[in-house]
Amino acid sequence: MDEDAFAVEELVKVYRGRRGWLGRPASAPVRAVDGMSFSVRRGEIFGLLGPNGAGKTTLLKILTTLLGPTSGRARVLGFDVVAQPLEVRRRISLVIQESAAEMFLSARDNLLTYARFHQRPAADARRRADVVLEKFHLVPEADRKVQDLSGGFRRRVQVAKVFMVDTPLVFLDEFSTGMDPILKRAVMGYLREEAARGRTIVLTTQVLSEAEELCDDILIMNQGKEVARGDLYALKLLSRGLYEVTITYDQMPAGIETELARLEPVRLHIEANTLELALKAEEAEVLERVSALARLGHVLKVEVAGASLEDIFIELMKAPEAKS
Amino acid sequence: MAALLAVLYREAKIRFTNLIWMFFDLFYPLIYFLLFGVMMDYTFGSPLAGLGVDYTAFFLAGVLGMAGFGIATNTAWGFFFDRDNGIFYEMLTYPMSRAQFLLGKVVFNLLLAVVQATLTVGLGVLLLDVPLRWERLPLLLAGVVGGAAGWFFFFAIFALKIRRNDLFNTVVNLFYFLLLFASSMFYPLDPLPGWFRAAAQLNPLTWHVDVLRFSTIGVGDPWRILLEAAAFVVFSLAAFAYAVRTLQQQE
Repeated sequence: MDEDAFAVEELVKVYRGRRGWLGRPASAPVRAVDGMSFSVRRGEIFGLLGPNGAGKTTLLKILTTLLGPTSGRARVLGFDVVAQPLEVRRRISLVIQESAAEMFLSARDNLLTYARFHQRPAADARRRADVVLEKFHLVPEADRKVQDLSGGFRRRVQVAKVFMVDTPLVFLDEFSTGMDPILKRAVMGYLREEAARGRTIVLTTQVLSEAEELCDDILIMNQGKEVARGDLYALKLLSRGLYEVTITYDQMPAGIETELARLEPVRLHIEANTLELALKAEEAEVLERVSALARLGHVLKVEVAGASLEDIFIELMKAPEAKS
Repeated sequence: MAALLAVLYREAKIRFTNLIWMFFDLFYPLIYFLLFGVMMDYTFGSPLAGLGVDYTAFFLAGVLGMAGFGIATNTAWGFFFDRDNGIFYEMLTYPMSRAQFLLGKVVFNLLLAVVQATLTVGLGVLLLDVPLRWERLPLLLAGVVGGAAGWFFFFAIFALKIRRNDLFNTVVNLFYFLLLFASSMFYPLDPLPGWFRAAAQLNPLTWHVDVLRFSTIGVGDPWRILLEAAAFVVFSLAAFAYAVRTLQQQE
């Protein structure tokens, strides 16, 4: 049995440029995926990160048979996405980035219809629909048509359906868009449970804290290429010398902007009387700078920590190879 | 087979829980038949010159053709709507081939067309005394089924190609106007000007309606009808092949 949930080899996808009047090129071809090779093991929660236009969605579309590659190979659970698309589709569930639901059907019928396509027995599907509706706080809306629900509820229905089936591989493109924080936290818990049961979860997200919290394995890509790969600890090693500092004053000291500008932080966020900044320097130097900042006012709280995934991401996107 | 049944289940759920669609698919053509058909019958008097039948009998095939055409455009519009709200793309990753997806849609379309045709023929025979050629019922069934399939494949191409709702509606309305009125659906072509007759004879809807008329009341030259039927089959197969190709190119 293939140990990989999926694997890609020298995968390339080029979108042809659009043609204008008289066949003149209106836009240049775009190399959305540019020779990527990697694999993901079964049962993991795998995060695919990158800025807008990095090629994440294109990669997902190829893996889910929505799009053919220009060259290279992609195999999902041992099946070639081009030669054996039906075998691939039998084993995957996908939630696309955009809102997508059966508008004319009720929330419950959305779930039952999806189960039907995956050949779940009707009685079993009905029982499971009750559980899933409960999990996603959809019971009061269960019999309302989705077209009458708000965007947030539509998204719930869309994500909920992947819990109606047991496909071994689940692709979620920005799954938490439009979800309230409480439900989002709950869904993250459900995803962990699914992974513990052996399902592989592949998620793309712009919310890096989600990936930090959920993913066993992360791949950061930009302009169709892999920029970094590994678990959170491996990625943190890539940004040695990057520290996150949080300082809360009783009141923000006057003239602190000048001092902050001198420190050249990688990232800076000021809210009320709290400073959050990322500094890239040797440990002793960082502590010295923090002391200097602390001396500017009356400090209520100081925290120095290793870099977050967001800092690493920003740092990697600034690296010359990511820009090239 | 399971994939096909799943598409049918989905289509049935959508249509049967939305009664307005069902009304337009099943009963709207009957109202057309009763109002337009009967009033035209009064206007022209009976029988129609040169045909030897009432206008209602002549118009029965037109109503059947119109109903198949209408069901096909509604199903194709459903395609467009699915794509517009995103579910179409997720459905393309469901465990079925593109051809199964298209066939599932068309089979539902056909079942609906057969139910609608039963209602229309029933109304025509029982209420309007249309002299139905019962021995040609199998041919009528083939005409209803083949017609609804052909028109669905034809409109599916536009539903899959066109991205904008307003443009799709404009195209459908234009086809409705041009194909319906430049055909033998509402009037016999023989008394009309030569250029109009020539245009109407190139219209696949004329071929479809002529087959239906031959099957219902026996009007038409058998060899000509055979030729029109063959032309419609070619039209439908070409539309099917192109619709599958367009579906495969969806990204």
